[in-house]
Amino acid sequence: MYRWLDERLDLKGLYHKVLRKAFPVHHSFFLGEITLFAFIVLVLTGIFLTLNFEPSIREVKLPDGRTVPAAYASVLYIDSLPFGAVIRSLHHWSANVMIAAAFLHMLRILLSGAYKKPRELNYLVGLALLGLAVVTAFTGYALPYDNYAVTATRIGYGIANSIPWVGTTLAQVMFGGEFPGSEKSIPRLFSLHVLWLPLGLMALIGLHLAIMIKQKHTQPRYAERVAPGKILGVPMYPQQMVMMVILFALYVGIMTIIAGAFLAHPVEAFGPPTPQTPQVKPDWYFLWLYGLLQIIPSSWEFRLFGATIGPEFIGGVVVPGVLGLVAVLLPFVDTRKDKMRYMELPSEHPVRTSVVLALLVFFLMASLAGYKIDFQQQGSILGENAVLWTLVLGGPLLTFLVSYVLMRVFYGKAREGEAL
Amino acid sequence: MDEREVRLRQSRRRLFLKTVIGTGIGLSLVSAFYVGASLRPREEVTPEKEPLKPGDILVYAQGGGEPQPIRLEELKPNDPFVLAYPMDPRTRVVKSGEAKNTVLVARFDPEELSPETAQHAVEGVVAYSAVCTHLGCIVSQWVADKKAALCPCHGGEYDLKDGAKVLAGPPPRPVPQLPLRVEDGVLVAAGEFLGPVGVQASASACCRHV
Repeated sequence: MYRWLDERLDLKGLYHKVLRKAFPVHHSFFLGEITLFAFIVLVLTGIFLTLNFEPSIREVKLPDGRTVPAAYASVLYIDSLPFGAVIRSLHHWSANVMIAAAFLHMLRILLSGAYKKPRELNYLVGLALLGLAVVTAFTGYALPYDNYAVTATRIGYGIANSIPWVGTTLAQVMFGGEFPGSEKSIPRLFSLHVLWLPLGLMALIGLHLAIMIKQKHTQPRYAERVAPGKILGVPMYPQQMVMMVILFALYVGIMTIIAGAFLAHPVEAFGPPTPQTPQVKPDWYFLWLYGLLQIIPSSWEFRLFGATIGPEFIGGVVVPGVLGLVAVLLPFVDTRKDKMRYMELPSEHPVRTSVVLALLVFFLMASLAGYKIDFQQQGSILGENAVLWTLVLGGPLLTFLVSYVLMRVFYGKAREGEAL
Repeated sequence: MDEREVRLRQSRRRLFLKTVIGTGIGLSLVSAFYVGASLRPREEVTPEKEPLKPGDILVYAQGGGEPQPIRLEELKPNDPFVLAYPMDPRTRVVKSGEAKNTVLVARFDPEELSPETAQHAVEGVVAYSAVCTHLGCIVSQWVADKKAALCPCHGGEYDLKDGAKVLAGPPPRPVPQLPLRVEDGVLVAAGEFLGPVGVQASASACCRHV
């Protein structure tokens, strides 16, 4: 069998070219793999969901006599199938894991300086993947068309709509008309969520992996001591493959237990959309934006060339846009001349490490601000805007200073010429 | 650069071909825009999506079945507000297909209302657009101690007694008021909303509400 295939497809060549690729052994190198596994599980569970989902908001009658949108009814139907609710939960939780793992993967790249020459391109592809993953997750949010999802998506529509000059057009193209209301919204979001965005993700994942194989992993620092100048690692096949299969099996197993134990997004409890807005909170990866939107006062509004630049635009578009721009420019600002071979240690780059830590604290504090209403209702001091602003701005600043001073004390001066 | 390449670069045939290909690509892109413009769907106005008109009867938004007009005596001063949709008085179609038609109705003691608000109220009953001006959620919660309306999405609070002035939270401006009158004991819209409804996108003139 193998011979037959080899004679026709030159499997040996493939083996020598690709399957012998050396994978460095380091636990932080599994984050990217977990992202990939989450994506695979998303595609597989997604196939099951698409086969049973009806992307429409036409009114249908449920057996119990209620009239609800067809999309909502079809999700109730999915939940009623054997393991249907588990598979839907698995889809939901895997989306969370994919974004979390991709984010942690990015942090590893940032902390070890792996975005530098020659890997700038692959770093940019990775950023695009993270952005695309978040957008894909968002377009999937509205599909169950329950009261909670509709309200959460409506906020997204409002943010897109607040972009000056082009906002309305952009929002209507993405959401297929006004959301909620337009009956073209769900078909549009559905086709984006199950077809075009996943295709984009697959293409970019392919590119990401191809570039990685071509350029090779950065080597962990111990490789420099053990075998300087050589590439150290286990071959893709069979050693790495065994680890990947075990990790994948573990991932599926653990996530299925979680999905079985914790039903994600209980549409039955949320009910079909009504004019009564529930208290919505976005998923954790949007919580920081949600927090920023709550603490930016309405007075932050000015007019520019006939358009209104409002707080929604500043909080929902400008802040993440600036962060994204900084991330995109980073490998072109923090450069090195020679090709990078070994990971840089975070301790050797106190400024960069401290900035990354400060950024994390910023995300955490802005997410904390997302609980502003709850704090206010409890009468907590954290409900005050001034307190939250202090935390959001002061927290990262303090983190940076403390981390920088500590790192300087413990690890001494950065080596010459490696200031960052 | 060898001689052949130099000749090629200066050749007019090369230039001509490049221009033709460039123009072709450019024109295709322009025509793609024409097709792409249809990505923004046509707005189809069905009867239940028509905008609110003066003379529309306000009916309770909750509870399916027959539309129930809101009767003046059903509202008690200082009770939580109710959400409503306009109903066309002739066709009896409830215009619930358009979220921007959602109205909130509350009743206060007439002397509690600010003079401007009172102008458009009837016997202490005030009505406002229920679409939050921040990001378009439906303002649906009642804050009893402030007698205000709270948008649960980002905590915007509107003072219903005083032109829906923003008391707290991020909304950039008040929700517009809806003038009311009473016909046969039923609440009826006496005019259009006194300002733009919902999130104010980009261009069009903005307006602190009168």
